[in-house]
Amino acid sequence: MLVPIFSLKIKHKVHPRLVTVGKYDGLHPCLTCATTASKVFVHNPHSPAIAGGRMAVQDSDISLLSVNQSVSGLVAGQLDKNKKRDILCIGTQTNLLAYDVHDNTDLFYKEVPDGVNSLVIGNVANIDQPLAIAGGNCTLMGFDADGEDKFWTVTGDIVCSLALADFNNDGQDELIVGSEDFDIRVFQGEEIISEMTETEAVTGLCRISGSRFGYALANGTVGVYDRTARYWRIKSKNQVMAIHSFDLDGDGVEELVTGWSNGKIDARSNSTGEVIFKDNMTSAVAGMVDADYRLDGKDQLICCSVDGEVRGYQGDQSRRRIVEANRAMDDVKDLNMTKQNLLLELQNYEREKEFVKPHQLTSTEKINEAAIPVGSTANAELIIAQSPDPHIQLVVTSTNDTIVRMVVIFAEGLFEGESHVVHPPQNNLSNKITLPLYPPKDIPVELHTQAFISLPGSCSFHVFELSNYLPRFSSYLPMSRPPKMPESRITFSVVERVQRVAIWFNENFLLKQELTCDDLLEVHLLALRGGDCSFKMDQSGQIEITTDNLELAGDFIQSLASFLNLEHLQTTAHIPMHLKRLEELIETVDNLHVVTQKLAAEMTDHSNLIRSLVVRAEDARLQEDITNMRKGYIELHELNRDLINGYHVRSTNHDELVKSLKLVNQIIQKAAQLRVGKYQSQVVQQCRDAIKSGKMNALFKIIQAGSA
Amino acid sequence: MELDLNVVDYLQVAVTDRKCMKILPNNDKRRVTQKIVIGDKNGILQCFGIKKRDISSIFKLQPGPPITRVELGGALGTPQDKIFVASGAEVRGFSRKGKKFLDFNTNLTETISNLFVSGSDLLAGGLYIYNHFSDCVDQGYYLSNDKINDMICLPVSRNQEDKLIPILACNDRILRVLDGCDLSCEIEVSGAPQCMTPFKGNGGEEEKELVYGTSDGKIGHVMLADEQPIYKWEISNDKNFGGISCMSHHDITGDGVNDLLIGRDSGEVEIYSYDVADEPILRFSHNCNESVTSVQGGVVGALGFDEVVASTYSGWVTGLTTEHMQKRVTGSTSATTTNVIGAELDEDTEKKFAGLRAEVETLQMKVKTEREKHAERTNKAVASGNSALSRATTFHVNDRFVLSSSDASYQLSIEVQTAIDHIVLQSDVPIDLLDVDKTSAVVSYTSTQPNASASGGNDNFLLATYRCQASTTRLEVQIRSIEGQYGHVQAYIVPRLQPKTCVLRRYPIRPLSLHQRKHYIDEKRPMNTLTLSGPFSIAEIHSWIAFCLPDLPERPPTGDVVTLYFINTFLDTQLECIYRKGEGVFRSDNISSISILKDILTKEATTKKITLKIQYELSDDSIAHTLQLLHPKLDHQLMLAKKVQLLDALQELRVHEGNLDFLAPEYQSILLDAEEIKREFQKQPARLERLYGMITDLYIDKYKFKGVNVKQKVPQLLETLDSYELPALIEFFQQPSY
Repeated sequence: MLVPIFSLKIKHKVHPRLVTVGKYDGLHPCLTCATTASKVFVHNPHSPAIAGGRMAVQDSDISLLSVNQSVSGLVAGQLDKNKKRDILCIGTQTNLLAYDVHDNTDLFYKEVPDGVNSLVIGNVANIDQPLAIAGGNCTLMGFDADGEDKFWTVTGDIVCSLALADFNNDGQDELIVGSEDFDIRVFQGEEIISEMTETEAVTGLCRISGSRFGYALANGTVGVYDRTARYWRIKSKNQVMAIHSFDLDGDGVEELVTGWSNGKIDARSNSTGEVIFKDNMTSAVAGMVDADYRLDGKDQLICCSVDGEVRGYQGDQSRRRIVEANRAMDDVKDLNMTKQNLLLELQNYEREKEFVKPHQLTSTEKINEAAIPVGSTANAELIIAQSPDPHIQLVVTSTNDTIVRMVVIFAEGLFEGESHVVHPPQNNLSNKITLPLYPPKDIPVELHTQAFISLPGSCSFHVFELSNYLPRFSSYLPMSRPPKMPESRITFSVVERVQRVAIWFNENFLLKQELTCDDLLEVHLLALRGGDCSFKMDQSGQIEITTDNLELAGDFIQSLASFLNLEHLQTTAHIPMHLKRLEELIETVDNLHVVTQKLAAEMTDHSNLIRSLVVRAEDARLQEDITNMRKGYIELHELNRDLINGYHVRSTNHDELVKSLKLVNQIIQKAAQLRVGKYQSQVVQQCRDAIKSGKMNALFKIIQAGSA
Repeated sequence: MELDLNVVDYLQVAVTDRKCMKILPNNDKRRVTQKIVIGDKNGILQCFGIKKRDISSIFKLQPGPPITRVELGGALGTPQDKIFVASGAEVRGFSRKGKKFLDFNTNLTETISNLFVSGSDLLAGGLYIYNHFSDCVDQGYYLSNDKINDMICLPVSRNQEDKLIPILACNDRILRVLDGCDLSCEIEVSGAPQCMTPFKGNGGEEEKELVYGTSDGKIGHVMLADEQPIYKWEISNDKNFGGISCMSHHDITGDGVNDLLIGRDSGEVEIYSYDVADEPILRFSHNCNESVTSVQGGVVGALGFDEVVASTYSGWVTGLTTEHMQKRVTGSTSATTTNVIGAELDEDTEKKFAGLRAEVETLQMKVKTEREKHAERTNKAVASGNSALSRATTFHVNDRFVLSSSDASYQLSIEVQTAIDHIVLQSDVPIDLLDVDKTSAVVSYTSTQPNASASGGNDNFLLATYRCQASTTRLEVQIRSIEGQYGHVQAYIVPRLQPKTCVLRRYPIRPLSLHQRKHYIDEKRPMNTLTLSGPFSIAEIHSWIAFCLPDLPERPPTGDVVTLYFINTFLDTQLECIYRKGEGVFRSDNISSISILKDILTKEATTKKITLKIQYELSDDSIAHTLQLLHPKLDHQLMLAKKVQLLDALQELRVHEGNLDFLAPEYQSILLDAEEIKREFQKQPARLERLYGMITDLYIDKYKFKGVNVKQKVPQLLETLDSYELPALIEFFQQPSY
């Protein structure tokens, strides 16, 4: 359906998601991709290839750039406003390199201890220079052309995807961050202005136009958001490798183009999700970019496959007609299907005009026709079961001697897959099926249950569709007696009646009966995933949340704040346990840093030794002194072994470091989540300053009180 | 050369059975297009032609019992334009104008599923019975050993004095050629034949040749000769397409030679033309997305343009025409987009579309009122408290569960007349579900605890939900079973119908699930023998064997002694079953097959309280022989795994060095064939593990017969396999085990 206007084959593998295009001389676009052996290749068909320095020319139009570390982020863009050229930024798990391909010079080479998982170049609020923003282990760092880190903030989990889009239509781009904890967060400067929870790790984000952006999840879902509202989404069994926005049919509206792991490319209308074009590559799509690759003044959509196949597609109005014709054909098919469905339904009503009596049916008819007593119904409810341990139960029951053969529950985020089946053994069927539920995350879930009902022994079933709603904080069950009191508590005050807060409780928790109260609200909660907590509010609006789970406290505060429409909220945290942990962590990080330096020095020593050993052994060889040569090489071999061992030590050390840093970042993020609005970004900023200047006491104070 | 054909959807009728659509020949001198006649499961027979891309109905009969076959006939030597329709046990005849001239009840006990008309001879076949009528007078019958799938008669252009040669395509992989009502010759073919057609439409020069298509997708050409049939060519099914559901001949290429038209269960319509040596060459392939029920050739849409007309399961009649038309552009549903292009609207299609939409809207209204009425009735019935029953909406399901011999796995395909919402697959045996590229449904597995309900003996080894994308009517799944483990796979099918209903289908996984019927075995192989004797009837032992092995009819074949041959599609080992009343002899070169048979047969006999005398005779050579048989497969897999492992490293080397001339040719060739290697590796995931599993079974079974349990030696065996050498493995098997 979609015909490429050019296609070429580059004899290199392309790593997924690491594809970009840049005009390194300011004029000619060059496709740039990460390839095997920690290299990046620049495809430059329009001007003579560049060599020297980091670059090596392989074929006439391909230059290779050695990075010597596996590449984890790649983007090209105008980082320096004064130069009218694109700069290539390459991220690895430890460093960020900004490289001027045309001049063959490094702009900067910075250490990024949190790693680079995703890279974008662009402007963010409050900073007038373009930044290269790297998303790593729970952190976001922005560097300007001089390598100065102008931007720093923390986020909930490892960053998987980044995009810049004008989320709130204020003419300035916001940073949209997708992370492994299924969340899409929108940052205006350091402040989170919006947060959407999805059902899987967010692996792809792309700007479409205005406040619209596309997203992709690790489970094969693609969709479009306009601000916080999801327009549409579709799910496929294949993996999404890349998403990109491009106007293929020339109608001035961009389509969301998705590249899949099976090589399929499809373009969907960004408002409906309807497929407009599709094409197939021979292997998985690695990435998509757009550029005027033919230098004819029009941009093409350029798709790269992991095997180095490159195809370019042009936006074209004439294609529109084919789309229309195809759509008409599909419409006719769809209408015909609807017609058939309706006819079938009519036929059924016709047949059911007279209800049959049990004795009118033969035994085979009883098995095949799914006859059930008239008026049989099925019912599904969520209850709190007490034994053996308190938990939530979904109970599906049927009436009138019928049995529930099976239930299928479609609920996103509740089970491993998108659905769960309960299929009791044949000899153990009854009119009731119960399923214990353990929500893995605190998100509201819609349960769509399908109950398969029939008389015993039947081979066909009536399917009853039932739905239930699991509120956000379902995994916290109220209990009568106070729990073993956790030592951490968060206190703050709101100007609000207790009754309003009680309403919030009723909406967000699974309660046996509605909570009512007059002047004092005190709820003890049993957490299904461990760690009990309690919530207290008195008439003066003073609220105290007692829990050791900081994240949960943050969720409570954020949810309550949005319910009560609080723009800013400052809180006080008494969290000795977490502070102790933080202290330990910071100490570990310091120690690890020392070890790293020591190891690095050791390695330098070794490499000097190697050089001398090689020279010595080679000399011996030339002098035909076999004994000494052998000795030299044996020593070399041993040294090599030492180096490898050293490497293993370094890599575990590094892993440890990364892990600790991630935890530190997470504690800061959680501390920020305890506050709302400007106080939230204030915590992040002040924490960063405190760490930078090494003032640990100040850090603790900020975390506790919300400001220095 | 590829043919370039355009797809035109004509109309949709209700669900159709196989071979229920025909194109009427022209007997008019005037040049007009040919008419299509089609019968559906609602019992409606209709005949229509195409006038200026519009359907013009010739006649349409009232609904009745489902139509199972439509055939054409007529007086010998005249155009065959009389329409014969089979439904139930009745055959009706209509003229091309729709006038009924025949209403004949055959009094067969089975539903007529096969029909053939030649002059005044009428041949009708049910599942097992073939009956011959001449001028509606019974001439005799023939009872087949296995299901009759199709039936044709040669010669095609028969004269009054010519003898009629009926040929039955039977499920036990045999084409039975009859002489009157007696068997004259059996032609063995490589798969269960599903349909047949005379070669080139006329049966070849001597009118004794035919083409058959099998349920596992093979097409073959055979010529009847006086004594032995002469096999010509056979097209194998490398791409793992579905079975052949229908075929016919028509000259679509315009070269004066009739081309072979094929319709498959998996939705493909294929056109083969014959070369000088009469070998078929694929010229065209199109996928209809649902199984093709009949395929015909003729001039239908426009004069002067030949076309292929196919009917599909859900009742679509689709043309593939040689006429090149401008893509007909129509307005779309939304007004805005219409304005954008505005200019080119095909009025006809627009009108048709509007008509259809109006039709659907009225239907929707009608359904709405009916729905309300129904709810009212239900309430009334509940209120009055009577014990009435309400039934679920019924719908047709077309399903197939076929062993594909090329990769020793089962293909399950489920097709519903309307869009599928979701399908839940449940299995009480350990099986693997493999991904099929064509299927777009989203799968989600429910993790199961096999031991949770062990007492019930009805474990859920597998629970998977396939949620289908909008307007999917067909689902294909590939299932891999393990021999020795048996039970059922169940599919709960829920279509997008209101009110929602579900139909349950069960598919057996037999103990020797990977075996397939064959017509001969290699007598030279060393064989192990198992002999059972006891007081059982032939029907009893047949039912036990039918329980163990696929491809067997329910009733025992006629004769006192039954001989059946099987081949293991994965290992290529063989099995011979010879049984009679009171005795059964099983011989196989694979000791595992014998072991499984022994276990199951004794279990079955015990439940029937029959004491069996069991004797077995093991051939030690058979082990070495079986391992030898496995050797090339194992070797190939190991090499492949090794190559795949090396591939990445080699590719990295290439990037680093730029030039790979220094590498050994072996490695260079790996790089050269990289694509091929990867594809092959992906195509057969876990094949090596499967082979290992079978070798382990072989080892355990060998010693089981000696009464030794060697479970504790299995790790040692796996070690031997890891550093695989055939002699070492044979050696390991020969070691005494104490």
